Amino acid sequence: MIRNASTPSWLLESETGAFPIGCSGRRRRGSAIEKTIDGFAGVARQALLSEEIAARRGLLQRLDARAKLLGVLALLLAAGLVRDIPVLLGLYGLTLVLAAASRIGLRWFVKRVWLFIPLFTGVIVAPAMFSFVTPGEVVLPLGHWFGHEVGLTRQGLTSMGLIVSRVATSISLVVLLTLTTSWPRLLSALRALLAPRLIVLVLGMAYRYLFVLLDAVSEMITARRARTVSSRKDGRGARVVAGFSGGALFGKAHALSEEIHQAMLARGYRGEARLLERSSLCIADGVWLAACLSLALLTIGGDRALGL
Amino acid sequence: MHIPDGYLSPATCAVAGAAMVPVIGIACSRAKKVVKDRHAPLLALGAAYSFLVMMFNVPIPGGTTAHAVGAVLIAVLLGPWAAVVCVSVALVIQALFFGDGGVLALGANTFNMAFVMPFAGYGVYRLLTRNTSLASRRRALAAGIGGYVGLNVAAFCAATELGLQPVLFHTANGTPLYAPFHLAQTIPAMALAHLTAAGAAEFILTVGIVAYLQRANLPLLRINHAGIVDTDAELAPQSGRPALRWALIGIATMIVLSPLGLLAPGGAYGEDAPGGLDLHTYGLSAIPSGLQHYNGFWKHKLLGDYGFSSGRHANLGYVVSAIAGAMAVGAVIFLFIAGVRLIARRRPNVQTGSV
Repeated sequence: MIRNASTPSWLLESETGAFPIGCSGRRRRGSAIEKTIDGFAGVARQALLSEEIAARRGLLQRLDARAKLLGVLALLLAAGLVRDIPVLLGLYGLTLVLAAASRIGLRWFVKRVWLFIPLFTGVIVAPAMFSFVTPGEVVLPLGHWFGHEVGLTRQGLTSMGLIVSRVATSISLVVLLTLTTSWPRLLSALRALLAPRLIVLVLGMAYRYLFVLLDAVSEMITARRARTVSSRKDGRGARVVAGFSGGALFGKAHALSEEIHQAMLARGYRGEARLLERSSLCIADGVWLAACLSLALLTIGGDRALGL
Repeated sequence: MHIPDGYLSPATCAVAGAAMVPVIGIACSRAKKVVKDRHAPLLALGAAYSFLVMMFNVPIPGGTTAHAVGAVLIAVLLGPWAAVVCVSVALVIQALFFGDGGVLALGANTFNMAFVMPFAGYGVYRLLTRNTSLASRRRALAAGIGGYVGLNVAAFCAATELGLQPVLFHTANGTPLYAPFHLAQTIPAMALAHLTAAGAAEFILTVGIVAYLQRANLPLLRINHAGIVDTDAELAPQSGRPALRWALIGIATMIVLSPLGLLAPGGAYGEDAPGGLDLHTYGLSAIPSGLQHYNGFWKHKLLGDYGFSSGRHANLGYVVSAIAGAMAVGAVIFLFIAGVRLIARRRPNVQTGSV
């Protein structure tokens, strides 16, 4: 799915084989920095991909951003209030159907959702399965500890299943929303839903200039590494450089903001932000919104009726 | 510290979100005052900057990573209200685009990192930089300490929110519905990570950047420090009176609050009369004779057990005891200092510099 898209392939490859500059045989010190640079590449990659997916012709892409935002919020709330694992799994299944209908590759979608937070949640929450964190009915005894029976409890296992499925469902919903909506439309939807004008304006500009700053930092790190001859560990030097780079970056950001402000004034900015697009709600949006709200009510009601 | 959706109950998210609505409203109007008419671009760059700071992960020995937030740094550079806007915006972008932190949990995340953190840290910074110039070393250090304190207070808030979930939201058979760990587990876990690695990262970053700007780009620091002189030499001499006033206010507050001790259950360890000791735990069968003999050899108590002999009006008794105690200690210190001065004056050959 992704291979056919217009995103250049070199951007989709991870940068594990980054050329080690300098005579560093063992790159212990650089690993954290390299991961961060990989993270930068990841940010740019994600932004490009979501713009591209938002431009595809799918189910969710056709809907108005306001309706989509409200619908997703209702479903998120439902996922938060549900107390039954099968109901949550049903909601998760629905997100997969929506993803397929919106022409998002399912394998890629599942990977994008589950790496990293739901898996991470599973690892973090794992101790809660045991009786010393979540006391209750022991279903798998593992031995005795000072006279108490230790093992996996029914309550602990249910709790872990609940939280992992809830986290996965919630993230799927948010990813669906942001993948199928371009950033300017999402912003105008936020504005329509009474987010403060300044916040929306700052959000739009921050997202725009984030990539400029990302470039500046990548260049600063590359320049630093190009000047680094030794691979010797130098904690103090690294800390000093971090401070200098951060300070210099803030200086650059400030200078850039001055230039942007002057450019805005030159184009007639008077403290009011105007958007080019004027979108109107259509029948499909109404249907979607009604479907989301009734589904949310239905899941919460059904969940309460099932009872726990 | 970014809490994803699903860890907190919607009720908790709603409370935190409701708390953040007025904060964001005030922040939007107050931030414009510090950053003036250039507000939108400068706040946007501040938000992007904060986003970048949060991307620099420091590996922790446990296998996970920690990152600085930079909220206190932005509070020092652009003011605390601007920091609220910048960090909130960075968190919104992270939540919507990168799945880092939840959308429903945005209220809680912004409360911890965009409200509590900059204000706690900036408060510490202001307290430590009273009467210092813009270029003084103390200012950079104070910013770092502010960052460290702010991050840890924010982590404590996050740990409290997470730790309250199993207490407040569970089913009839005790299954936790949201985050399953109790306060006794969340607070030490968060404190350990943030008092060490993440706190150190925040401290180093904040000190480094402020120190660099002090040397290389002082005008940037002036954005949020209007009316503060540049060097120590320009500082106006201050009298010691305000310090005395603050000390007195602090002592008075403690006196008024002293009856709070009555609320605490149980006794303080080792402060009970020997009668209250659980002798079995120490392998004793009777109170040692020496302890028995010397306990209570002083019989002339004025306010026994910090109260009146009748045992009534416990709160008033505590306050009266606190006033009497504070005055007695003050009198002893006053007499000691007076004595030292008297001796110093009698021997003119001893050099007496001003203290």
